[in-house]
Amino acid sequence: MARKKTKRAEIVELTVLKPLDWVDERTAFVRGTKWFLFRNVPRDISWAQTLGFGTLIAFTSQVLTGVILAMYYQPSSGIDPLTGKPAAYTSIEHITNEVTLGWLVRGMHRWGASVFVILMFLHMGRVFLFGAYKYPRELNWIVGVLILLTGMLMGFTGYLLPWDQTAYWATVVGINLNGTAPFAGPWLAQWLAGGPEIGSDALAKWYALHMLLIPGALIALIIVHLYLVARLGVVSPPWSKEGAGRERPARAPSAAARAGLTRAGTEGSD
Amino acid sequence: MARDLGERNRETYARYKDDVKKEGKAFFPRAMLHDTVMAIVVVGVIIGLAVIWYYDADGTEAGILGPWYTEPAEPGTTNFVPRPDWYFYFLFYLLRVFEWPETVFIATVGIPTIAIVLLIALPFYDRRTERRPSRRPVAMVAAVLTVISMAVLTYKGATAEESLGSQLIADGVPQEWAEQQGFAGDEQAEAGARLFAETGCLQCHTYAGSGAGNLGAPDLTEVGQANDAEYFVQYLSNPAQFGNTVMGSYAYLGEENLAALGAFLAASDGGEGEGEE
Repeated sequence: MARKKTKRAEIVELTVLKPLDWVDERTAFVRGTKWFLFRNVPRDISWAQTLGFGTLIAFTSQVLTGVILAMYYQPSSGIDPLTGKPAAYTSIEHITNEVTLGWLVRGMHRWGASVFVILMFLHMGRVFLFGAYKYPRELNWIVGVLILLTGMLMGFTGYLLPWDQTAYWATVVGINLNGTAPFAGPWLAQWLAGGPEIGSDALAKWYALHMLLIPGALIALIIVHLYLVARLGVVSPPWSKEGAGRERPARAPSAAARAGLTRAGTEGSD
Repeated sequence: MARDLGERNRETYARYKDDVKKEGKAFFPRAMLHDTVMAIVVVGVIIGLAVIWYYDADGTEAGILGPWYTEPAEPGTTNFVPRPDWYFYFLFYLLRVFEWPETVFIATVGIPTIAIVLLIALPFYDRRTERRPSRRPVAMVAAVLTVISMAVLTYKGATAEESLGSQLIADGVPQEWAEQQGFAGDEQAEAGARLFAETGCLQCHTYAGSGAGNLGAPDLTEVGQANDAEYFVQYLSNPAQFGNTVMGSYAYLGEENLAALGAFLAASDGGEGEGEE
């Protein structure tokens, strides 16, 4: 058969399959991708189970719009000599009013944050309703809670960046609230404020937290979350009559029973 | 039941794996189809919100989704009412339920910490295999109560109004303070009390149960126990001199008004000094 190969098949083999094999042999990347994509899920999964993917899409949108915003934004409270306003504020005005479609990118980032938060809560509600945090998915629930907290921190740190009155005073309150915590509270508040007055030091600090540290942590948590979803599988809706893992009537032994996994067929000893 | 929980869990999960393998559908492309629809809806909603926000507002002029931006940050302002993004309203309102500063850490640290611990530990105290909501009444009631309380706190946070000075005066609140603190009849201190209600002090401070408790501003009900009127006049003229960089200067009120406020604050001793010496 090898002799009958067309020219095209040969080219495909040489330029696509061979390199992929080469990579796969060294990294298992192709096997991993196949494992992730071509796994089975219960046939009765519901629309409510698309909320997690929706959350991922909202996050992806935040990453893309955030990278674009970072190209135009200036994290400085120093006064811009041309406008007489703080540099950060001036750059926000510039993005909104002058950069091509800048208003759309900023608007999507601003409102995408709200959509992301709402979707995280809805997704968590769905997991709770379905009892999907139970064995063996306990750890993935915990990772999910950490994602929720980290996501809220993204909202908290991003709010200061436009450097307008709303942003500034909400953050002053936020920092003072941190200060009420016992032990580390006052120290944390001082560190977040970056000095006696909230200014450029604080702005640069919050910018670094918002676009480097916290998103880095968030991306790592999301990767773990997705890996565990693929490894452990997605549950059927708990009320489904044909749910995966349902109890079978004792007289009609299931495949699992035949494989010796359930008690069906053994003597009653309860 | 002779079988223990772990064994039953493992059996159910083995059955699940088996069923999914035999009867399940492929994640890609079949289940992904639904996910794709969801993705389009999510991106559509985000773009829709951005478009409505942009076209309904103009610069600092707010539309239904708020302005593009407010005025540039100005650390010296004293009458700006701080407000976080909407998804922190529940925390924001929780603060008002507690008294500043003695119990406020219950709202800022206590309750959130308890909530987070309960959330993280959920799979460890709810260990039954049962997943049907109809057979999990306790979990469902707890969930409904949580959703309702979050919704109520968010709503209250969204509609919370700062106490208006004119309203306080119409309600005779400064007069109540005078009687409670024992400075009734002291005309200067009474004038100071009215000024205190009017000039926005209560947007940050609390006093005898009124006010906001924002920005970490302390309660002033018993502030007069430690210092005299002279001290307060100086403090109000230049808070930075006392190491306070959050509060702005009130020197613009003029000497007479500052003296009245000073007398009022010095007389605010929590009612202890009444008729003494």
